[in-house]
Amino acid sequence: MNMILRELKASRRSLIFWMAGILAMVAGGMSKYGSIQDSGQSMNDMMAAMPKSLQALFGIGSVDLSTVLGYYVVVFAYVLLMAAIHAGLLGANVIAKEERDKTAEFLMSKPVSRMQVLKSKLAAALFMIVIFNSTVLVVSVLMVQHYGGGNEDAGRLAILMMLLYLVQVLFLSAGAAIAAVSKKPKQAVSLSAGVILITYLLSIVIELSENLEVLRFATPFKYFEAKEVLFDIGGDWMFIALSVVLSGVLLIVAFTVYQKRDLNV
Amino acid sequence: MNMFIHELKSARKSILIWSLALVGITVLFLSIFPSISRDADEFKRLIEGYPEGVLKAVGLQINTITSFLGFYSYMFLYVMLCGAIQAMNLGAGIVAKETSGKTAEFLLTKPVTRLEILAAKWRAVLVSLVITNIVFVAAASFMANFVAVEGVDVTVFLLISASNFIIQLVFAALGIFLAVVLKRIRSVLTLSLSTIMVFFVLSVFGSIVGEEGIRYVTPFKYFDYAYIAEHSAYEARFLVLGLVLVVMMLSASFWLFSKKDIHSI
Repeated sequence: MNMILRELKASRRSLIFWMAGILAMVAGGMSKYGSIQDSGQSMNDMMAAMPKSLQALFGIGSVDLSTVLGYYVVVFAYVLLMAAIHAGLLGANVIAKEERDKTAEFLMSKPVSRMQVLKSKLAAALFMIVIFNSTVLVVSVLMVQHYGGGNEDAGRLAILMMLLYLVQVLFLSAGAAIAAVSKKPKQAVSLSAGVILITYLLSIVIELSENLEVLRFATPFKYFEAKEVLFDIGGDWMFIALSVVLSGVLLIVAFTVYQKRDLNV
Repeated sequence: MNMFIHELKSARKSILIWSLALVGITVLFLSIFPSISRDADEFKRLIEGYPEGVLKAVGLQINTITSFLGFYSYMFLYVMLCGAIQAMNLGAGIVAKETSGKTAEFLLTKPVTRLEILAAKWRAVLVSLVITNIVFVAAASFMANFVAVEGVDVTVFLLISASNFIIQLVFAALGIFLAVVLKRIRSVLTLSLSTIMVFFVLSVFGSIVGEEGIRYVTPFKYFDYAYIAEHSAYEARFLVLGLVLVVMMLSASFWLFSKKDIHSI
């Protein structure tokens, strides 16, 4: 418990910054709702007939920006990116920082097992992710209700946040596994950031070319589409299962490797 | 000169990695360009039956966006994203590492002034960025020869490509400035990644909602493709704005660094 509290305290400031970032992003983004003029029916028809790749180039895809939820889909794309960066860096930092800041020796000489150390650290990180996620949910519901005149479906947003949570956990586990495996503590954060950037760029490229649909498996940014969750069916069970399994595997890797890790002290 | 060579040597690996990253992005994106232009042709045939007014507006837009240079400037945003991260990391890291690596004492007791130290570091940053950009432009030109069907306006192509360097200068100066101002940077990458993401999200989002003022805020929007294509030149006020920012942040850094309280333990 001490370790969890210590960990939470240490990341307090950065979490507050992230929460302010979400608030600015969602509230600021939604405040622009309505500034995009509806381009008329024949234009919408034409956009719908457009190949997916061209829609992506035009920058808005096939959502109807004149509805509040359609507009929210655009905002959410950036919330997802922020959440991934937060979770990925958190997972790597929470483990790597002891060695980087030369506090590993102090921590490891305490009468707790490495297993307990890692458990507490990950518990703290998971808790911070929950806070991040709840902030997104609260701000989003408030904003969507405000601009939608109060008759939008908040339940759908809650489902969206659950899927967001899965992706956050996946990036957190990936960061933790990378930090457990990598030899140098400084490398861990860079590698984790590299993974986030590469998967993000991959998700952009997939948008541009239908031949690359198969690569959806390789990038968590594409495990679910906010548009589908908010407008029709919800998440794709295969990808939900995939993200849970991947997170599990990565966590097992983190735990087994960290048990035997040669710490840089 | 010694310091300069030492810095350049220690940046060797990062120059290599980032050059490869930029080349990778370029190859990845440009290799899907042929399928994009095919999609565009098909779509143009498909919409021939639409009312003339709509056709004129959209057809023109499609021609611009799906031309080689249009697509290049679209993907260039992601090149700039990576370039900015490289530059800011380099700028912040090159200053912060002396404190975090406990080498500040060693360096500062040498018979050189602090100004000379920072100047050598800045020169090393400049040279690293120049090398990365040369590699990138070479790869981009090679790919352009490979995939572009119509003749490419070389001046416009080079102007777009070179804008990455100018934006990198801004972010490198920002990195140095922050490293000098902040007492201690625990993780350089976390700092630069989150700062750049803020600018990145601002610029993408700003262009979706069509906010003109955002162009003054985020360097990613300093160089507008449409303007470059039309005038074969940069917009003077944004070029000046960028360079003024660089000079201001650097002079502030030099001034503050020369009297900074640097802790060596």
